[in-house]
Amino acid sequence: MYFDVGGKQVFATTGGKPFDNSKPTVIFLHGSGLDHTFWGLHSRFFAFRNYAVLVPDLPGHTNSEGPALTSIEAMGDWLNDVIEALDANDVSLVAHSQGCLVALEFASRYPDRLRSVSFIASGLATPVNDVLLNAAENDPEAAIAMMLGWGFGSAGHLHQGPIPGNSMVAGGRKVMRGNVPDALATDLKACNNYKNGVGAAEMVSGPIQVIVAGKDRMAPGKATTELIEHLSDPDVTVIARSGHMVPQEVPDQCRALLKAFIFSNNPAT
Amino acid sequence: MSRFLNFDTLSLHAGQVVDPEYGARAAPIYQTTSYVFPDTDTASSIFNLERGGHAYSRITNPTVGVLEQRIAALEGGSAAICTSSGMAATFCGITAILEQGDHIVASTQMYGGNISLMKNTLPRFGITTTFVDPTDTDGFRKAVQDNTKLIYGELIGNPGLDILDLEAIAKIGADHHIPVMIDATFNTPYLCRCFDYGANMTVHSVTKWMGGHGVAIGGAIVDGGNFDWGATDKYPTITEPYAPFTGINLWDEFGPSAFATRIRAEAMRDFGPSMSPMNAFLLLQGIETLSLRMDKHLSNTMDLLDYLSNHDQVSWVNHPSLPSHTSHELARKYLPKGAGSIVSFGVKGGREAGKAFIENVELASHLANVGDAKTLIIHPATTTHSRIDADALVAAGITEDMVRLSVGLEDVADIKADFENGFRAAKRITKK
Amino acid sequence: MGFRTRQIHAGVTPDPITGAILTPIFQSTTYVQPSVDEYLSKGFTYSRSGNPTVKALELKLADLEGGVDCACFGTGMSAVLAVMLAFLEAGKHAIVSDVAYGGTYRLSTKILSRFGIDYTFADTSNPDAVAASVRENTALILTETPANPTMKCTDIAAISEIARKIRAVHAVDNTFLTPYYQLPFELGADVSIHSTTKYMDGHNATVGGAVISKSDEHAEAVRFIQNSTGTIMSPQVAWLTLQGCKTLSVRMDAQSASAMAIAEFLEAHPKVEQVMYPGLESFPQHELATRQASGYGAMLWFEVKGGLTAGKNLMDNIELWSLAENLGSVESLITHPVTMTHADVEKAERDRVGIIDGLVRASVGLEDTDDLINALAAALEQV
Repeated sequence: MYFDVGGKQVFATTGGKPFDNSKPTVIFLHGSGLDHTFWGLHSRFFAFRNYAVLVPDLPGHTNSEGPALTSIEAMGDWLNDVIEALDANDVSLVAHSQGCLVALEFASRYPDRLRSVSFIASGLATPVNDVLLNAAENDPEAAIAMMLGWGFGSAGHLHQGPIPGNSMVAGGRKVMRGNVPDALATDLKACNNYKNGVGAAEMVSGPIQVIVAGKDRMAPGKATTELIEHLSDPDVTVIARSGHMVPQEVPDQCRALLKAFIFSNNPAT
Repeated sequence: MSRFLNFDTLSLHAGQVVDPEYGARAAPIYQTTSYVFPDTDTASSIFNLERGGHAYSRITNPTVGVLEQRIAALEGGSAAICTSSGMAATFCGITAILEQGDHIVASTQMYGGNISLMKNTLPRFGITTTFVDPTDTDGFRKAVQDNTKLIYGELIGNPGLDILDLEAIAKIGADHHIPVMIDATFNTPYLCRCFDYGANMTVHSVTKWMGGHGVAIGGAIVDGGNFDWGATDKYPTITEPYAPFTGINLWDEFGPSAFATRIRAEAMRDFGPSMSPMNAFLLLQGIETLSLRMDKHLSNTMDLLDYLSNHDQVSWVNHPSLPSHTSHELARKYLPKGAGSIVSFGVKGGREAGKAFIENVELASHLANVGDAKTLIIHPATTTHSRIDADALVAAGITEDMVRLSVGLEDVADIKADFENGFRAAKRITKK
Repeated sequence: MGFRTRQIHAGVTPDPITGAILTPIFQSTTYVQPSVDEYLSKGFTYSRSGNPTVKALELKLADLEGGVDCACFGTGMSAVLAVMLAFLEAGKHAIVSDVAYGGTYRLSTKILSRFGIDYTFADTSNPDAVAASVRENTALILTETPANPTMKCTDIAAISEIARKIRAVHAVDNTFLTPYYQLPFELGADVSIHSTTKYMDGHNATVGGAVISKSDEHAEAVRFIQNSTGTIMSPQVAWLTLQGCKTLSVRMDAQSASAMAIAEFLEAHPKVEQVMYPGLESFPQHELATRQASGYGAMLWFEVKGGLTAGKNLMDNIELWSLAENLGSVESLITHPVTMTHADVEKAERDRVGIIDGLVRASVGLEDTDDLINALAAALEQV
């Protein structure tokens, strides 16, 4: 669906059910250069279990009107605007990668709106190396190859996903090709510039879930450890064999963890 | 693993998770109709497209799934679906997006089954086709109508072996928001990955070089994941809610694999052209040696082209690798490793000489297939293209003296020796 | 649970990964180990030593027979060989049924005899003859009941008692009646042998064998031979046999009922000299057959008046029945043992044990009984 946020059109999928703000809400936040399709299976699962589901494209990504936002802080504020625009209630945030930084910012500043936060494959900060930053602006195909090459673990590179016939790598490539160079380059710069992780993490309250990928090459182990250290009593699970793209590489394990956590902390009737 | 794997590695490993129960190194053959669900929530999740998994082997099967994911990986596509035959793949691809009143622009040089489907069968359901000579790239643009929903062709035409200018055809498709579907059977992803040149879907008869041993019939349709279905309202089967799955919007939910998901949710469910697990297993064995076999097919082909071109019983030889072929430059561009192992040639003395040749070779098998490990020959005018009227025969570039050769993996010296017997018999006929 | 439930479900559980209701065909040579320390933790290393599909069949057959373990083989002959190699060695002696299948006779007299094993072929239908054959070094008694092709029955309990006394292994070839009709372990036998090619598969699709053991000690001995000699069953064969087993009892009942009707028809036919079917009152061991098994099976033989010439004439002219080796399948087969299955047995020996020249062996299949009888009637007409 499309809706207006601050005079700009925002696109979001709702998991195959109309968005009903009388129900508890699950909002899924995608990572750099990606879009709503990243969360296809998971959004549908919650929508058919009595949650209001929202999977927005960030501004300037795929179907949402641009330009892309230039800082994580701005994305946090934008998320608050989205929630206000839809008058969504009892929000559980599910965030991946860059989306986790957005979730940190949002959760630290608007704690009252949240019932729970799930951080998947993230650190306190996401420094981006110069080669990738440069490629995102000047050689998008190379940037996409780096992002997907490092992003997927063996399940991605061996095309082993559990959806019969599907190859997640090619799907990711198609989505990113639609979001280069502007959205991807802007995203990566915003990630690289984000320095408020420690302060934000310490402000997050309420139930927190952290899902760590054992073979993550995008969010290194040290950054993830720091995130966990600064969060208050997080529920941490490590999926040993997954690469960075947890929700796509090991969707069944990821969904089981999200289901257990959200069903207990933000139950739908 | 942090980098993309190369072709040979993918052809051995892609799509297979080593069986977690016993560690079996080979993909198990799931010769089963159905699957016991651990609980009702899992069952409903699978039926409602909330998770991958298996419910009934008409729709998906774990062994077939390995083959599908391996083919998707080799093609660089977002998803692949295997079918009981190559024709079933084409049919499923077309019916996923076209309906009564729609139109196809297709090449004239295609496998007879494809031509018959579009010329005779689809019109009964209100889908019409304009056929265009594959060498007339601009003709494809001119043939596009308001109701055109698909551009279809074979990269290496059959049997004239003219090469489509794929990039130019894909540009025509993109300009008109029309997907381009390529029958990539003759090239396989080893010789050309069609999505790299803008094709949107490929179909395969995996019976041929992909499987390579002539032991199982099968097809595949691969979603390139690169077509923007949402850019127009021409493709409601992809972009509008689909009632059987509680109004699912496949484009919103599945994005790059929306087209494949439509086939899975509709064609495999309602038409049921499923590949058997045993066939999938056999075809997987073939794909493991795809590049090795293709290299040998190509080297034998080059050897035989030299032999045939210099043979005084041969009136003409047709293959895109020959500089004389009209598609030679396109072949160099799209098929740098080689333009496939199908060769056609004319036997001096016309129809009777051609017949005598075929009846007197012993090693080469006379049959209606291509892409076997064994060398095959056939006389198209009386077999594969026999149900096509005379005008279409000419349009398809078939002459009465034509022998079509599918070069196998035998020692090429033995193939030549075998052909000598055929040519001697053809010569005797000519002298009478 | 009852036999019909167990023939379907024993040994088979839904695939834990996908839920596939049928055991997958693990057409794989080897198994990836999780780590060096966890070697064999998933139970399989190499498909000669064990294969998950074959394992499912082995569990099923062990359950049906009431044994502790089953080892499956590439053929019924491999199963017999494994039993002989497991329980015999140079200097040992075995007593084998004198109407054993021709292949068993060949294996004993032409091959294992070269390795210093002695054999006595005894009329096992007579326990006294068996007792008289016992030597100090007798380690194995191999019986087959009903015997092929004479249908002569052996008293399993009586022979088991002899074996027990001399601490020899009593192995029973239970192919003809299957555990659905006959349970040798309950009668005291130690090992049961099957050609799964026959009723277990039942569809003429595979060739295979099985050895089921009543004790762990015997099972280990057989397993050791199976792994050492590599005479294993393939996963494809195991999978097809698993499917066949699901209808074993239904086929046995239907085929046995037809066999009874056919035996009665033949017995009453003026051109038939004699009929041997354990279910007929006229069968010499009818009482024993009734006592030790719950059914009579679907094998019989008969002799046409006019002997060999008349028998050949019948087999050359008969329709519907196929002139073919094998038995136990849904297709009815007719065989001439003297020229086919028992050609390797010398004439003097054949005559001695009752394989007469005119003997026509019938394996009654699953076709309509009337059609089978009509075909026999028409062929007899032409004799």
